[in-house]
Amino acid sequence: MDKLVSFIRSMVQPLLAVIVGLAAGAIAIAVVGGSVPETYAEMWKGAFGSFYFFTNTLSRATPIILIGLGVALAFRAGFFNLGSEGQMVLGALSAALTAIYLPGPAWLKLIAALIAGIISGGIWSAFAGWLDAKYRMNLLITTLLLNYIATLFAGYIVSYPLKDRTGSAAMAQTMMIDKSVWLPKLFKGMSLHYGFIIAAVCAVLLFLFMRYTVKGYEIRMLGGNPLFASYGGVQRGKMMLLSMFVSGGFAGLAGSIEVLGTQYRYLDGALTTPGYAWSGIMATLLAGSHPLGTAIAAILLAALQTGGMGMERNTEVPLEVSNIIQAVLILFVSAKITYSFIKRRKAARS
Amino acid sequence: MDHLFDVSLFASTLRLVTPILLAALGGAICARVGLFNVGLEGLILIGAFSAIVGNHFTGDVFASIIFAILCSVLFSMLFGYMSIHLRANVIVVGIALNFLALGLTTFSLRAIFDVKGAYYNKDMVGLPKWDIPVIKDIPWLGDVISGHSPLVYLSILLVIALHLFLFKTVTGFRLLAAGENPTAAKSLGIKVTRIQYGAVLMCGVLCGLAGSQLSLGNVTMFTEGMTSGRGFIALVATMLGQSNPIGVAASSLLFGFMDALSIRLQGFALPTHFTMMLPYVVTIAAMLFFKDKGYMQEARKANESSR
Repeated sequence: MDKLVSFIRSMVQPLLAVIVGLAAGAIAIAVVGGSVPETYAEMWKGAFGSFYFFTNTLSRATPIILIGLGVALAFRAGFFNLGSEGQMVLGALSAALTAIYLPGPAWLKLIAALIAGIISGGIWSAFAGWLDAKYRMNLLITTLLLNYIATLFAGYIVSYPLKDRTGSAAMAQTMMIDKSVWLPKLFKGMSLHYGFIIAAVCAVLLFLFMRYTVKGYEIRMLGGNPLFASYGGVQRGKMMLLSMFVSGGFAGLAGSIEVLGTQYRYLDGALTTPGYAWSGIMATLLAGSHPLGTAIAAILLAALQTGGMGMERNTEVPLEVSNIIQAVLILFVSAKITYSFIKRRKAARS
Repeated sequence: MDHLFDVSLFASTLRLVTPILLAALGGAICARVGLFNVGLEGLILIGAFSAIVGNHFTGDVFASIIFAILCSVLFSMLFGYMSIHLRANVIVVGIALNFLALGLTTFSLRAIFDVKGAYYNKDMVGLPKWDIPVIKDIPWLGDVISGHSPLVYLSILLVIALHLFLFKTVTGFRLLAAGENPTAAKSLGIKVTRIQYGAVLMCGVLCGLAGSQLSLGNVTMFTEGMTSGRGFIALVATMLGQSNPIGVAASSLLFGFMDALSIRLQGFALPTHFTMMLPYVVTIAAMLFFKDKGYMQEARKANESSR
C-alpha cells in the first residue's frame, strides 16, 4: 500500500507538468485562432493515429531514449553530462566510418560499428570526467565545450578528407554504408528498425543494473551523498571515469544506431539539427533519472515532435506549439528536482 | 595574407563581438552572484525578436530597443523566479528557457507576421551608424573603429562601467559578497535574494541589448534561431574571462575575431572548422591554468553539477 501511495505521489508532478504544458499549448493554439480540441486531435493522430505514425514516433524516440539513459546514469552518479551531443556525433561518425571502411562480413561490420560508436562516445565523455577527476575542471563546462569541438571535428572530416565525392550532391557527408550492414527494419515499409529493440533492452538492463548490482548501488550512493560514499570506500575518481564512460557510450550508441538504422551515412548536421541530445536531457529530467521512466518520457517527447509535424500538415497551427509545450513541461518539472535537491542538501548538512 | 588581415576583418570583428560581449557581461554578473545562466541564448533570441516586433509596430529604433529590453527582462525575471524563489536547478531552468525562447519566437513569427523562417521588411529602420569625429580621419584606425552602431560603443563603455561598479562601489562589493559566500553575506545583513534578482535583471537588460544589436545592427531582419549558439559562446566567454568584465571583454574579442576570421576564410574556400574550434580549445586550456574561484565553486555547489 505504501509503495502504491509513493508511486502515485511520484507520478503527480510529471502529470501536473504535462497538464500545464498542454494548457500553455492550448493558449498558443487559441492565439493563432485554431480550434484547441481539433488541433490536439490532429496532434494525437500525427503521433499515434495509425500504425505507420506510431512506428515513426518510436523510431524518432530511439536516439532520445539512449541519450536519456546515458544522461540519467551520469545524473544518478551526481554528474551533469551536457556533452551528449558531441558524444553522439563522434559515435555516429566512427560507426559510419567503421561500417564503410572495415573489411569483413556484414555482421562483423555491423557489430564492430556499434562497438566503435560506443567506445568513441565513451572515451570522449570519459575525457571530460578525467579532466574533472584529475584537474578539477568543472564537468558541466568541459562537456559543453567538448560538444563544439566534436561537432566541428566531425564536420571537418566529412567536408574534406573523407567526403563523399561519388554522388553529384555537394553535401558534407560520408559515403553511403553498404546495404548489407544496415540495421534491419522491424516492419516492411516502416521507418522503425531494430535499434528501438536495442534501446528498450538497454533501458531494462540499466534499470536492473542500478537496482540490483553493487556497482549500481555505489553509483547511486555517490550521487546521493558523496561524503558517505567515500566513507564507504567508493573511489570517486574511478567511479566518475566509469560512469562517464558508460554515459557517453549510450550517447555514442544512439548516434551509431541512428546512422546504421536511419541515415545510412554520417551527414553533417543531421544529428544536431533535430536536437536529439537536448531532448534526451529533457526526457531524463522529466523522469527524474529513472531508466524506465526516461524511456517513456523519451517516447512522449518524440510523440510531441512527430505529433507537431502531423498537426502542421493538417491544420494552420505551426509546429512550434510542441516546442512551447516541451519547454513549459520542463520548466515545471524542474521544481520537482528542486524538491529532491533540498532533501539532499539537508542530508549533506546533518 | 595581406588580403586576409585587412581593415574590414577587424571592423567586422568589432561588429560581431558586440552581441557576444553584451550577453557575456550579463552572464558574468549572474555568475558573480552564484547563478550559472545557461539561458543566455534564449534571452538574446527573445531580445532579437522583440526588437524586430518593436521596430515593425513603432518604426522607431529607440522604442524598439526599449521594447527588446523589456521583453528580455521579463524572461530573465522568469529565470530568476524559478531559480531564486522556487530554488529550481539553474541549469535546468536555463535549458528550458532556451527551448521556450526558440519555440515562442518561431511561433510568434508565424502568429504576428505570418511568415516562416525569416522576417524582413524594407520599411524597418536599422541602428544608425555613428562616425566618431576625430578618430574617423585617422587612416587605419578610423576605418576599424568608426562607423559602427551606437550599441557597439555602448558595449565598450559598459565594460568599463561594470568593472568600476563591481570593484569600486559598495553595491558592487555587496554583489560580489553575495556570490562569494551567501551565508556570510546574509549574516552581515546583505539582502542576497534582492541582489540576485538585481543581477538577473541587469543580465536581462544586457541580453536585450545584445539581441537588438543582432537583429537591428548588421542586418535588419529576424531569422528563426538567429542566435545560432552565440549565447553559449557568450557563456564560454564568461568562463574564460573569469567573470571579470575586462577579462570577459578580452575573451569575447578573441571569439569575435575567430568568428570574423572564419567568415573570411570561407571566402577563400579554406577549412573553417579549426578556426571555429580554437576558442573552445583555448577555453579548456585556460581552465587548466585559472583555477576555480570561490564564487564559481559556490555556483557549482548550488547547481550540483560536479561535486
